[in-house]
This record gives sequence, structure tokens and C-alpha cells, in this order.
Amino acid sequence: MDLAVYDLKLHKGRFIATVIGVGLLFTIVLAMNGLYRGNIHEGLAVIKATNPDLWVVERQRGGPFNETSTMPEFYHYSVKAIPGVEEASPFIFYTVERQVGDKSRHFSIIGYDVFGGLGGPQQIHAGRNIARAHYEMVAHEKLGVKLGDQVPLGLHTYTVVGLTREAISPDGEPIVYLSLPDAQEVLFQRDNEEIRNQRERLFRSLTRSLPRQTAEKLLPSLQADTHIINAILVRLGPGANRAAVARHIENWLYFSTFTTAEEIQLMLKGRLAGMTKQLLLFRTLLLIVSVVIISLVIYTFTMEKIRSIAVMKLIGAPNLTIVRLVMEQSMLLTLGAFLFGLILIHNTYHLFPKTLVLVADDDLVTFIVALFGGILASILGLWQALKTQPAMALGG
Amino acid sequence: MEVLRIEGLTKVFGSGRLEVRALEDINLSVAAGDLVALLGPSGSGKTTLLLCTSLILEPTLGKIVFDGETIHQQNGWAGIDIRRIRREKMGFIFQSHNLIPFLTARQNVLFPLSLVDKKGEAAEARVMELLEYMEITERADYLPALLSGGEQQRVAIARALANNPRLILADEPTASLDTVRGKKVMELLKKIAKENQSAVIVVTHDVRMIEGFDYVYYLKDGHLNHEH
Ligand SMILES: Nc1ncnc2c1ncn2[C@@H]1O[C@H](COP(=O)(O)OP(=O)(O)OP(=O)(O)O)[C@@H](O)[C@H]1O
Ligand SMILES: [Mg+2]
Repeated sequence: MDLAVYDLKLHKGRFIATVIGVGLLFTIVLAMNGLYRGNIHEGLAVIKATNPDLWVVERQRGGPFNETSTMPEFYHYSVKAIPGVEEASPFIFYTVERQVGDKSRHFSIIGYDVFGGLGGPQQIHAGRNIARAHYEMVAHEKLGVKLGDQVPLGLHTYTVVGLTREAISPDGEPIVYLSLPDAQEVLFQRDNEEIRNQRERLFRSLTRSLPRQTAEKLLPSLQADTHIINAILVRLGPGANRAAVARHIENWLYFSTFTTAEEIQLMLKGRLAGMTKQLLLFRTLLLIVSVVIISLVIYTFTMEKIRSIAVMKLIGAPNLTIVRLVMEQSMLLTLGAFLFGLILIHNTYHLFPKTLVLVADDDLVTFIVALFGGILASILGLWQALKTQPAMALGG
Repeated sequence: MEVLRIEGLTKVFGSGRLEVRALEDINLSVAAGDLVALLGPSGSGKTTLLLCTSLILEPTLGKIVFDGETIHQQNGWAGIDIRRIRREKMGFIFQSHNLIPFLTARQNVLFPLSLVDKKGEAAEARVMELLEYMEITERADYLPALLSGGEQQRVAIARALANNPRLILADEPTASLDTVRGKKVMELLKKIAKENQSAVIVVTHDVRMIEGFDYVYYLKDGHLNHEH
């Protein structure tokens, strides 16, 4: 006889309301699982898509994504000259907020050597790669542009020649690929007013200690250098020893090097770690809240039945019958709520502003945790049920 | 045939200044088919005796032999599964409101059968037989809340009879019924004692209800007296 179900039938409304309430909590937990995966997925997407054999960055910097790293552009020739290096390409990456269409959009720009260099888009989903030195761009679909669109960035207008689906910046923003000189220009371009102002500031500080003529002579060579990159991407030649090449670059060129796996670790331990911990904390709290709510509901359900439980004991029902009654209700509640959450999140994940990556393993782990939560939640009710004296059934 | 024998049963609650001697050296023997009434003023120990007999309260001292098995020795349980004895060999009828509220009349009667692993058609047939016996078949699928007091009590009796118990214990079964209905319940209990050869012990306040009982015992301050 399924006592638990018969009893719940009598309290359908409250049961369903609790299933929905706790189900929504589970939905949030599952959403946070997805957010966590999505955060890591996006955080590593550009590293994984670029995937060179070595990343060469500014000394002592975990760049170019976990921290900034800057270096003069011409160093990629020096890196290329090192034995074992087959290709060494300049790479620049930065984030901007610009008008695209009629909306202000936040996105990242990658500048790379479009003529055979590393670091460009791996898979073009529509259109083609950048083929000219200037004024062409490849963009992620999320930017909301179409092939052939004209996008003004700074002083020039760029034509969308290709669309990708893979490269997302660590913040989950779309990435736009430009040729290296275009990317540098978009990054460093200033309007004429600003250039004049800066020149004037520099000139004034120089004339404080130098004669006018010397200052005027020095001025052009002191203008800010725009031939700056953030990293050099290296492809090794066949049979080259990666460790030896890395040591060589570090010792002779005074840079830091990382493999792609090390870049990933830098991100996981650095920029992505805070979010990961935060999400773990929230999920733990939400699960605790769910267990507490289920406990209280099961406790109330049990307390309302306490006299029936006394009668059952008096009639001679073994404890197992009573344990099953309480546990089954707790399980039905937990499973119902979990199922509700699971169905809801799998039908709504695409509506979230951030990317959710739902993984079957995460669902399973959450399910197991929820199951234990449900068992835990029935303890309070069970304890009340088991200590009930059968004599209680006889009182008035 | 003897169903129940109680020897020298004493029950003391508390100790020291708070000590209450609820039952004092009770001796009682009940045979199959006996209809026994237990009378007494409030606080005399009727419920306590019933609880000891139904193996819910442990006696302080005394021996209980039930259906040939020694359940309680002079000062301790004999180590028999008491709940099994209760579900297989005893039936209980309470004052009122002791049907399980989320089960229909039919399911309430089925419950004790399910406890001894009687299932399926045989169990269903037994339930219908009992409900017919109690003349309550037309209410079989009602929840207790929708039944009158007398109907509830009849379902409760059907439930108590489900496993053909050797002993039926009833604590004031007529207290929540009017005199006519109360008399009817007592008639039913008489019928059950005779037809099923079950021993029936009924605790009551009400002397008007005990016509035709085989034995009437009177409890006063924990002492049991035979009255006749
Ligand atoms: N759990 C207990 N702890 C202490 N004293 C108790 C306990 N149960 C009963 N008593 C005492 O034992 C005595 C007998 O009580 P019992 O309930 O058996 O009386 P009763 O005859 O059933 O009364 P009533 O007719 O009012 O139901 C009373 O004095 C009561 O106070
Ligand atoms: Mg009493």
C-alpha cells in the first residue's frame, strides 16, 4: 500500500506548490552549474582556438589574457630566428566598446599577421578569411553583423568578409579579427585635437630643462610608439624540443613563455577562479536552503500525521512501514522538484544573458547531492515519527 | 481455551514522592470467545491495564502469557517481536477518530492485511466481507472525514477484525456515540466474540452498555475486583 502517495493526494496543493518552489531553487543551482561551465568555456575559448605551441609574453607576466603584457612588435623576428621555431607571429588582443549598427557594443579585437601568421580565426563559418592587408574584418556571429556589412571603427570603415562561431573573449564577448596594423590603428588612433594636446604637453615638459631647439628636435622621436603587441605566438618545427626553445627565449630574449596548457592553468587559477569559487558558494547555499525547506515541509507533513503514525504503531506496523512513509514523501518532493528544475533549465538556458553550458555529468552530480539532501531532509520528520508512542492513539 | 493470562501485574509510574501505583497485583484470565468488560472511575487504571495488555506499556512487575506464549516474564520482556504479535493476533478499537484520515474506508481495512503480507484479490475479498459484515459497503470508497461517527466506528471495528485476531481490545468504543449507536456497537462486539471465538476486552465508563457481557471487572485505585 502506498501510504505516502495516498497522503500526498490529500495535500495536493501544498505538495505541488513546494515542488515548484524547491524546483525553482534547483533550477538556479543547475543554471549556476551551466554558468560555471559556460564561464570556463568562454574564458578558455580564445586560448583553445588560437592554440599555438608557445605563447611568448612580457617577462614576469601571465599574459596576454590573465594579465596585460606588452612588447615591441619587432621582437617576433628575434623569436623566429631561434632554432626550433618554425613560425613566430605578432598577436594583439584588447577590448573596446564601439557603435556597431545602431547599438553600442562591447567586443574584443584580435590583430594578427593575416599573411600566413598564427592567431587568426580557425574556422570560418561563412565567408572567407581576411585576404587584404587593410579594412577587412572577420567577426563572431554574436556581434550581429552580416557578410558584406560596413563597420566603422575609428578613422576607417571595415568590411565583414567572414563570420566565426568559436572565438569568444574570456568575458564572453564576441571577437573581431583585424589585420595587425589595422588593429593597432584602431587601438591607438586618436583624434587630431588629442595628438596636438599631447605634443604640447610633452614640449612644455621638455623646455623646462632643455633649450627650445633641442626640444623641437627630440619631439618626433618621443611620440608614443604604436608598434606594440601583446604576445608572440610560436609554432615549433618538426622534432623541436619545446622546453629547450622556451628556455632559449626566456634566457636570451628576456620574455616569459607558456604552453597552451599553461595558459589555461593561468586563467583557471587567476581570472576565472573568483567566479568559480563564488558560484560554488552560491550553489552550496542554495542546496542547503533547499534541504532546509524540504525538511520543514516533511516535518510539517509528518507532524500532521503523528496521530495516524501512533495508530499504525498500535496496530502493529513495523518501523519500516513508517520510515518508508516519511522517506517516500521526502523523495517524491525532492525528485519532483529536481525534475521540475531539470526540465525548466533545459528549456530556458538559451534565454540567459550569459552562456550556460549544461553537462550531463553536472546534472547527475546535482541529482545525487539532491538525493542525499532529500534523505537528510527526512531525518527531522523520521525522528519525530519514530519517537511517537503508540499509546498516543488511545488518548481522547 | 485460554487466550490471555495476567499474573501479579503491577505498574508504577514515577518514583519517590511522585510515585503513582496505577496497577497493583492484577490477576486476570480471558478465554477465547469471552466478552469482558472493564469498569471503573476516572484514574482507576483502566487505560493503563489496557496498554499493558496490548504490550504498549511495560509492566513494572508481572507475567503476561498470550496465546500460549510468555510475552512478559516477572520483570522483563521475553524477547518476542511485540509488534508482530499486535498485528497478527490483536485488534484495536478506540474511542474515535482513529481511522487513518488519508485512506478510504476500504484502504483502512486493507492496511492491517497489508502488514501481514496479504495482498491482491484475496485481501480485497476479505475487506469486502468485513465491510458487508459491518453493513458499510456503500461507504467503502469514502474518506473517514465524510463518514458519520457511527460509520467510522464500524469501519474501525472492521479494521480490528481484519486479521482474525485472538484478542480484541476496545477503549471506550461507545464514548463518542449516542446511546442507540453505542448499544449497536456493543451488540456487534458480542456477535464477534461468539462467531469468531475472539476474546474481547472492553473498557467503559458506562454501566448501561454492559448487558450480556460474560465477565465484568471493576477497577478501583489499581485493584481489580470481580463483580457479580
Ligand atoms: N504516563 C504516566 N505517567 C504518570 N502517571 C500516569 C501515566 N499514565 C497514567 N498515570 C496515572 O495512573 C493512574 C491511572 O491512569 P489511567 O489513565 O489508567 O486511568 P483511567 O482509568 O483510564 O482513567 P479515565 O477513565 O479518565 O480514562 C492515574 O492516576 C494517572 O494519573
Ligand atoms: Mg482511560
